[in-house]
Amino acid sequence: MRNVVPQPPSSEPGNPAALLTDTSGLNGVPGSGEPSGGAGALYRGRVLVGLLLSLGAALFIAQGLLAKALDSVSTERADRQSFVSLRALEDLVQRAGGSGDAVRAVVDTWKTQLPAGSAVRVVAFSGIRLEASTFPEDVGERVAPRRLSREEKPLYDRGQRLRAAVETNREEGGARKLEVEAEALPGGGRLLSAPVEVEGSVVGMVELATAPLAAPLEPSLPTLLLCWLLPLALCAVASFVARRQGVLVAVSVVALVVGLGAYGSYSLGTLGAEVRGTQTLVAEQVRAMSERAQAVMAERQLATEPALRPGDWDADAYRRPLGLVSPEGQVNESVVSARMEELRSGVGRAMTGLGAVALVVLLFIGLGGVHRTAATVVENRTAYAYIAPAMVGMLVLVFFPFFYGIALSFTDSTLYNAGQPFMNLWVGLRNYVEILGDFNIVKRAQDGSLVFNYLNFYYTLFFTVVWTITNVVLGVTLGLVLALILNVDKLAFRPIYRVLLILPWAMPNYITALIWKGMFHQQFGVVNHIIRMFGGQGLSWYDTPFTSFLTVLATNGWLSFPFMMVVSLGALQSIPMELYEAARVDGASRWQQFTAITLPALKPALVPAVILSVVWTFNQFNVIFLVTEGEPSHSTEILITQAYKYAFQLYRHGYAAAYSTIIFGILLLYSMVQNRVSRATEAA
Amino acid sequence: MFSRRDGLPHWPLHVLLVLFTLFALYPILWVITIAFSGRQSLAITTLPESPTALERVRAIVPWPETWSASNFTSVMTEQPFGHWLFNSAVISLGTTVVGVFLACTAAYAFSRFKFVGQRTGMMAFLVSQMFPGTLMLIPLYIILVQWLGLGSSRLGLMIVYATTSIPFSVWMLKGYFDTIPKDLEEAALMEGASVGKIFWTIILPLAKPAVAVTALFSFMTAWNEFILAATFMDQEAMYTAPVGLRFFVGGYSQQWGYFAAGSIIVSIPVVFLFLFLQKYLVSGLTAGSVKG
Repeated sequence: MRNVVPQPPSSEPGNPAALLTDTSGLNGVPGSGEPSGGAGALYRGRVLVGLLLSLGAALFIAQGLLAKALDSVSTERADRQSFVSLRALEDLVQRAGGSGDAVRAVVDTWKTQLPAGSAVRVVAFSGIRLEASTFPEDVGERVAPRRLSREEKPLYDRGQRLRAAVETNREEGGARKLEVEAEALPGGGRLLSAPVEVEGSVVGMVELATAPLAAPLEPSLPTLLLCWLLPLALCAVASFVARRQGVLVAVSVVALVVGLGAYGSYSLGTLGAEVRGTQTLVAEQVRAMSERAQAVMAERQLATEPALRPGDWDADAYRRPLGLVSPEGQVNESVVSARMEELRSGVGRAMTGLGAVALVVLLFIGLGGVHRTAATVVENRTAYAYIAPAMVGMLVLVFFPFFYGIALSFTDSTLYNAGQPFMNLWVGLRNYVEILGDFNIVKRAQDGSLVFNYLNFYYTLFFTVVWTITNVVLGVTLGLVLALILNVDKLAFRPIYRVLLILPWAMPNYITALIWKGMFHQQFGVVNHIIRMFGGQGLSWYDTPFTSFLTVLATNGWLSFPFMMVVSLGALQSIPMELYEAARVDGASRWQQFTAITLPALKPALVPAVILSVVWTFNQFNVIFLVTEGEPSHSTEILITQAYKYAFQLYRHGYAAAYSTIIFGILLLYSMVQNRVSRATEAA
Repeated sequence: MFSRRDGLPHWPLHVLLVLFTLFALYPILWVITIAFSGRQSLAITTLPESPTALERVRAIVPWPETWSASNFTSVMTEQPFGHWLFNSAVISLGTTVVGVFLACTAAYAFSRFKFVGQRTGMMAFLVSQMFPGTLMLIPLYIILVQWLGLGSSRLGLMIVYATTSIPFSVWMLKGYFDTIPKDLEEAALMEGASVGKIFWTIILPLAKPAVAVTALFSFMTAWNEFILAATFMDQEAMYTAPVGLRFFVGGYSQQWGYFAAGSIIVSIPVVFLFLFLQKYLVSGLTAGSVKG
C-alpha cells in the first residue's frame, strides 16, 4: 500500500484546497492558456469521451422510454380494439335481456366472429350463473349455463366490483371508478370485463379474452446508433480542426443537442404513426362490429330500439367518450391532432430534461471534473475507504429518505396510490397551503362558547410550544433545586439519594409513559385513589384538554428532572470552595453568593442542557402518543404525533410529509436562532 | 444553603429529599407491586363497598396483598413475551455490532485524515440529527417495506437502527480518537505497519473504553426504541419487547400484570447499564451540543 500516510490534521500537504489546485493545474483547465501538445490530446480525449458517454446514456434512456411508450400504445390499441367488440357484444347481451337462452344464442352467433384464440363469457348475478361461455375450459361437465363454482369466486368478485363502480359513478354523477377492468392473461393476451346493464341496473358482466398480443414495435437500433455515432464522428473531426478547448467543448455541446434532437424527432415520428394507426384500426373495428351487430340483431330478432350507437364504443375505461372516432366510424381528425400535440410536448419535455442532464455530464467530463474527482479519490483513498460504509448507509437510509420525504410533500400520495410515479400525484404547494393557510382555529358555538379546532396546525403549534416551555421550566426548576440540596456539604446518604433520583431517567421512557397512563386510569388508577382518600371525586383525566395536559406534564416532568439534576450537580461540584470562603470573608450574603458565584458557574453547563432538552421535549413522541394519545379529540397532540397520525392512521403520506417538513423548518429556524444567541452570549 | 460550607441543620433537607425520592420512586414501586401481585388488575388491593380510612391508605401503599411470581412465569411461558425479548436482543446486538463497526471506521477517518469533504461530512452527520422522525418514517417505510420487502423483519430494523445511530457514535468516537497521540501511529508506520494494521492493533485497543461506551449506547437505543418498531413490525411474532409491552395494555386488552412483569424484565438490564454509563452520557451530550 502506498499513499497511506495518516496525516496529522494540521499538516499542509493534505490540505484539500491545495490538492484541488495541484491536480487541476496538472490537467490544464480552461483559462490556463494554450495547452501544450500533450495536454491538448488530453482534453480532446476528455471531450470525446464525455460526449460518447453522455450522449450514449441519454440515448439509451430515451430508447428505453420510447420502447415503454410503444409498448403502452400497442397495449392500448389491443385494449381499445377488444373493447369495441366487447361493447358491441354487451349491447347485444343487453338487448337480449342479460340472461337466458337469448343471450346464449347471441353468444353462439357471435362466436364465429371472434379471431382464433379469443373467447367470451357472460356472467349473470342472479343465481350467480355462468350464462354463456366460449372459454376452452368450459366444456363437458363445466359447460354453460351453470352455477359458478367455488374456484370462480374472483370472477364473481370482479363482477361485484364493476357493479359497485357503476353505482358509485351514477350516484356521484362523475367518473371516479373504473367501469371496465382490463388485465393481462398469463398467455400474453388481455382480459377485459364490462358490466351489463338492463333497465338501469347491473345484472351481469361480459368478459372478453383476446388472443396473445402481437409483439410491440421495437425502437430501431440503427437509428439509435446513427444518432449516437454521427455526432461523435463530427466532433472527432472537429477536434483535429479546433485548436482551442472552448471551441471544441462548444462543438461537442452542439453535437449532443443535434444527436438528441434527431432521436427525439425519430421517436416522435414513430409514436405519432403508431397513435394515428391505432385510431384508424379502431375506426375500422367500430365499423366492422357495428355491421356485425346489426346482422345479429336482425338474425335473432332483437329489439332495434334504442338505436345502436357505435360512437359510444369509443370510450375510456370510465366509459367517458373519447371522441377519437365519430359515430359513423371515421377518425376524428381534430381530436387526434390535439392528442398528437400533447404527445409532442411530452416528448419535448422528456428530451429537454434528458438533454439538460446529459449536458451537465458532458461538461463535467469534458472540462476535467472526472479527472479531478478521480485524482482526489485516489489521493485520499484510505480515508474514503474507511468512511464509505458509513456514508453509504447514511446516504441510503438517512439522506435519501430525507429528500424523498420532501419530494413526497409536494404530492397527494396516500397508501392507496403509493405505486404510482410522482409526476402523476404532483400537487405542488397544495399541502403546504392547506396546512399553513388554514386559520380556522376558533369559532363561536351557537351558545356563544368558544370551540377550538384542535386539528388546526396553529393550534397544534401553540400547544407544542406551551408543552415545551412548561416542561423545560418544570424540569430545570426541579433539577436545579434538587441539585442545590444534594450539593450541601456533608449531607448524609447523598450517594443513595443521587442514585434513587436518577432512576426515572434510566427507565425506558415508553415504559414510563405506559405506567403513568395506568396511574391516571379513571377507575383503578392510583392518582384517583389518592384523591378519593382525601374525600374527593376521581377525575376522568383524559376527558378535558387541561387535565389531559396535566397527565403528560406530570409524566414528562418525572422523566426529565434527573437529567437537569445531574447536569447542575456536576457544574456545582466543580465550583472551587475558596470562592465562597472569599465571598464570606468579604461579607457577601447568601443570596449574593448565589447570584454572583453559583449561577454564573452553572450557566456553561445549563445552557447546552436547556437547548438540548427543548429539542427533546419538542419531539417527545412517546409520552404524548402513549399517555393521552391526543385525547380528548386531538387537543393534546403535539406536531410530531399529529404528523405521525396523518401518515400512519389516515395514510395521507403526502400531507404528513408536508407537515413534517414544516416541523423540520421550525427546528432549523430554532437551531439557527439558538446558534446566533449562544454565539452572542459567548462573545459578551 | 447554596454553598457547601453551611452550618444549617440538615433535617429539613432530608425531609424534602425523602418526600421527593418517594415521588420519584412511587411509579416504579407501583409497577413492582403489580408485577408481584399475581393479578392483571391495575389496583393494588380490592376496595370494599364503603372503605375505611385505613383501607383507602392501604389502596395506595405499593405493597401487594399476596406475593406471587406468577405474572413473571406466565409472561415468559404462556405469553409470547420470551419471543419478543429474543427479537429485541437479536436486533439490539446486531445493531451494536454493525453500528459500532461503521462508526469506528468513519470516526477514525474523520479524526486522522484530511480529505475533501471532511467538514461537509461531519456537518452532514450533525444536521441529520435534526431531521424529524416522522419525515424520515414515511420514506423509510416505503423503502424498507414496499421496495426491499423488509417489513416485519429483524434485519430491516437492525439496518435502520445501526444507520441512525452512526452520527452520534461518530461524534463521540472522533472526540476520543483525537485525544490519542499520533506519535504512536507514526512510529508504527516507520516500522512498516499498514493503516489497517494500525487501526486494528493500535487505535482500537487504545480506544476500548470509548468503543465500549458507544456500543452500550447503541445497544440501549435499539433496546428502548419504540416508534420505528411499532411502525415496521406488524406481525405479532415479530414484535420487539417495547411493542409487545404496549400490546398488553393497548386497545382493549388490560393485562397490567403481564405489562408490569415484562417492564421489569426489560428495564433491569438497561437501568444497570444506564447507571454505569450516565456520567459519559452527560459529558458526551453537553460537549456535543456546545460544539454544535
